[in-house]
Amino acid sequence: MRSSYAIEVKNLKKSFKLPTEKAAGLKQAFFNTLKGVKGYTKQEVLKNISFRVKKGEFLGIVGRNGSGKSTLLKVLSKIYVPDSGKIKINGSLVPFIELGVGFNPELTGKENVYLNGALLGFSNAEVDKMYDEIVSFAELEPFMNQKLKNYSSGMQIRLAFSIAIRAKGDILILDEVLAVGDAAFQEKCNEYFKSLKGEQTVIIVTHDMENVKRFCSRAILIENGEIIKDGNPEKVAEAYLDLFKN
Amino acid sequence: MKMSEVLNRKNQILLSELTKTDFKLRYQGSILGYLWAVIRPLLMFGILYIVFAKFLRFGTDIPHYPVYLLVGIVLWNFFVECTNQGIQSLIIRSDLMRKIAFPKWIIVLSATTTALINLGINLIIVVIFALISGASFNLSWLLVPFFIFELYLLSFGLALFLGSINVKYRDIQSIWEVLIQALFYTVPIIYPLGMVTALSGFAAKVLMLNPIAQVVQDIRFCLITTDTMTGWVLIENIFLKFIPLLVVVGILILGIKVFNKKSKYFAEEI
Repeated sequence: MRSSYAIEVKNLKKSFKLPTEKAAGLKQAFFNTLKGVKGYTKQEVLKNISFRVKKGEFLGIVGRNGSGKSTLLKVLSKIYVPDSGKIKINGSLVPFIELGVGFNPELTGKENVYLNGALLGFSNAEVDKMYDEIVSFAELEPFMNQKLKNYSSGMQIRLAFSIAIRAKGDILILDEVLAVGDAAFQEKCNEYFKSLKGEQTVIIVTHDMENVKRFCSRAILIENGEIIKDGNPEKVAEAYLDLFKN
Repeated sequence: MKMSEVLNRKNQILLSELTKTDFKLRYQGSILGYLWAVIRPLLMFGILYIVFAKFLRFGTDIPHYPVYLLVGIVLWNFFVECTNQGIQSLIIRSDLMRKIAFPKWIIVLSATTTALINLGINLIIVVIFALISGASFNLSWLLVPFFIFELYLLSFGLALFLGSINVKYRDIQSIWEVLIQALFYTVPIIYPLGMVTALSGFAAKVLMLNPIAQVVQDIRFCLITTDTMTGWVLIENIFLKFIPLLVVVGILILGIKVFNKKSKYFAEEI
């Protein structure tokens, strides 16, 4: 039976080992072992997180800096290994923890699109199919055979962003990258996100409550590695703003 | 890494894209470009040839000594490039590992494949030199790829092992640079093995237990002159003859095991 959930997360825990002294060296590691010092302290970043995302849901994750949002996205994207808990992902997941990962200034725009595509798990034939759409969305047709280092930073981010939203995955994950570029391009991005609502499963992390209210069909508020509110975007946005009131 | 997934379609594409990029970027911005892949070993060979063959008069009793020397240098350079690039590649690509989930060993595989391509280019030059200096094609040339594969597996295993430790302890990179310098003098590359056997037969046998020495001598035997003293002939004990091969397999297994264990946490440790 095909599940109606795109993502199911159960009792997810993740902690990091933070080095206490400077332990980045063989010598220090050696002395730490001799002295019986662990050399690190454990910091729990995600404490027992459970939630499910329905197919087609546009989920916003909000919370203060350091509350565990990005760690959660990285665990979902399989970049980090969880300490315990279960994650079930139905379908292909395309994560954008950052735009333009692997972009190389010495390669041309076109070469970068293919490299980025390969890193995201797309074959050259699949990138071929998306390529024209990516370029036209980015409005960079005349520049694709130029080296990326000759692009303005706005052009680079537009190209990266276009790859992100044109990459056809079942689940799209975006960290803090909702609208980029000038006003006209931002408007285009907003239109695009509105059109996604109800069609594509999207998970975004953002600090912009206007965007949460505008795009999301559901939102989650994370505080100290725990979900403290889950549901209606308006209410979650309110709860988020309340965090800063006292 | 599960065996069935090792080179599935997705990984193949990623490997080829990363390798292409590596190769494109290596000689980026230089006037001679790819030609450097050829010029570098030739210059190195020129220097060593003048010093060792002309001034120190090594290898006067070995036919085609210049090519004999060149083969050794080319293979050694491959070993150095393969291990160094393999170790550093994980640091260079740290940005990717922190942002995207993909099999990490592809990074090492791509870096070592680039070294393998360079070796391929260099070997073409070796063959041209060999033909010019009077060696002629024979069937034993066909064995050369097997020995190169052996050397590659050794380098790949070392790169996996050292690279995965280097992610957390960057000292490894520096230690390896010194170690490899020392190792260079234990391999009969600039000096003929005959010089060692003349001093001590036992020492020569010990040196030949090293798989790099074994591969270098075997390739010289196949490619240039059957006068080459190989480990197989020098070491009498039938079990000891297989030591170099066992070392390669051992290091490869160790490398894969350690890498598999550590690579899960690269993204957070780097």
